[in-house]
Amino acid sequence: MKAIIKSSLRLSLLAGLISSTSAMAADKVTFQLDWLPGGDKAPVYVGVQQGFFAEEDLEVKIASGRGSTDALTKMATGQSDIGTSDVGALMAAKAQSDVPVTAVFSYFTQAPHAFFTLESSGITSIKDLKGKKVATSPFTSSNAFLPLVLKQNGLSEDDIKLVKSDPGALAPMMITGNTDAIIAWVTNTALYEAQAGGAGKTLIEMPWSESGLSLYSSSLLASERFLEERPEVAKRFIKAFAKAVEFTYANPDQAGADLHKMVPEVDANIVSAQIKSIYNLVYNEITEADGFGQFSPDRIQTTWKYVAEANGLSEEAIDPATAINTTFQPE
Amino acid sequence: MNPTYLPKSWLAQQVNRFAPALFFIGLVLLWELVCSVGEVPNYILPSPSAIFSAFFDVEMSRWLTHLWATLRVALMGFALSIAIAIPLSIGMMRSELMNRVLYPALIVIQSTPVVAVAPLIIVLLGTDDPSRVLITCLITFFPLVVSTTTGMLETPPEMIELSQSLRAPRYRETWQIRIPYAIPHIFSGLRVSITLAIIGAVVAEFVAAEEGLGYFIQFSTSFFKIPQAFAGLIFLSIISLLMFKSIQWIQMWLFPWSLPKKK
Repeated sequence: MKAIIKSSLRLSLLAGLISSTSAMAADKVTFQLDWLPGGDKAPVYVGVQQGFFAEEDLEVKIASGRGSTDALTKMATGQSDIGTSDVGALMAAKAQSDVPVTAVFSYFTQAPHAFFTLESSGITSIKDLKGKKVATSPFTSSNAFLPLVLKQNGLSEDDIKLVKSDPGALAPMMITGNTDAIIAWVTNTALYEAQAGGAGKTLIEMPWSESGLSLYSSSLLASERFLEERPEVAKRFIKAFAKAVEFTYANPDQAGADLHKMVPEVDANIVSAQIKSIYNLVYNEITEADGFGQFSPDRIQTTWKYVAEANGLSEEAIDPATAINTTFQPE
Repeated sequence: MNPTYLPKSWLAQQVNRFAPALFFIGLVLLWELVCSVGEVPNYILPSPSAIFSAFFDVEMSRWLTHLWATLRVALMGFALSIAIAIPLSIGMMRSELMNRVLYPALIVIQSTPVVAVAPLIIVLLGTDDPSRVLITCLITFFPLVVSTTTGMLETPPEMIELSQSLRAPRYRETWQIRIPYAIPHIFSGLRVSITLAIIGAVVAEFVAAEEGLGYFIQFSTSFFKIPQAFAGLIFLSIISLLMFKSIQWIQMWLFPWSLPKKK
């Protein structure tokens, strides 16, 4: 009998210890990036370094990803709680199967897709691409939107010679004259400019957002299980993340230093140059009209229309509004 | 080469002795020359000097972190595949039924490209070590099973007959006759597997990782730091070589009798 009392006493002591440590520890959140760390991924690192997450009693672990769909899969399977990925990719995924992920906060209110070419090519607008060789990477989300942006500029896919190649090889191919133009995200502009400059050439950027393709892109998405099980944690996270985004774009140099501190392989100067070059994706007339982090119902509908057309899906497949939930945003 | 060939002069002897190193140095010099004369930009083919300076752009502690991450996964995967392959081969050698049932399954596993399966394993097992170790194990265990089984089956039949006529129990037949005969085969399997283990770890890091040389190389290319990626690649080949050599050292140390006799 004595032994039983003794062991139950010890057990309750142990249980007490465990519960007290868990009460003291910050809430753990796993953040999913949709690619490797870089300028556009800086806010979450800034949030950690500037203590925005700590202020909300959050402990954030950052996991790198290998593309939009990879990030979505990891959030859907619960390996990550919340993260950044393309809201268009989310809509396309939801139209095909019931992926338990929801968009909670907008980040890029313009799409980052663009054509890049060199001044020496004589190409000055998208229309000039007729009959030219264009290189793209095999798995970029840009490929789905290519037919749309060509159509908006009076071209079809047959008018250009499209080749696919490794993302790292695109700019060198263009500089060495292996291709006339390339397709990439404007997040690469700073890097490409440095490479072209090194070869004594001038880079020209033609963002698709300026030629008719205007839609939501990279957004903060969350696993639905995370939102259901820990709504308060989600709210605090979004509040801190919003603060981190604002800080990042107001202080690009500090953001570069913060990211470098956590990922020493990343060059702080390149990061701050990247942040400066994508400022317009985050802050533009749409952000001004609708409010930072918001999704307007009309633009969600337009985004879905483009995504559905680009992916060959029926527009009726889903109500795009079901992919969005802004109730977790700070008031 | 004719083994009786002996160069006359001292210089010729030295050249002969250091021929492999000289060949390598010559290759590097030629590479450097092509890059500087041809003005090949770094993002197409970095020169050896650019790669050398890229070594120092990354802090030593970071190199060690990445090296250790890759090495750890490679060694854990390798250990797991030894732990699976050897008992499996013993089982397949002893039981003809097991052999018939398992062999086709093993071939199916081996002929499935692990690169294609890796993302699925990550989804199933998560992004931490277990999935990376499994990917490494999948790549490495087949050569081990094949070489161990072959080795054990190549035991001279008269030895087996002798042990049977002396009524030796089967475990003694396996441990004292078959396994020792299989040792040279097992070690050649181990040498193939250890280099595959590094490849397995890198494949896993390409799919999901926050550190490791595979991650580092992918990362460097995404920032167009090609010399840095090459520097990572050189580290990878150095660990592969060292691991390969270690297996030979272990064999020399533990089973010196299993090595081919020097003439």
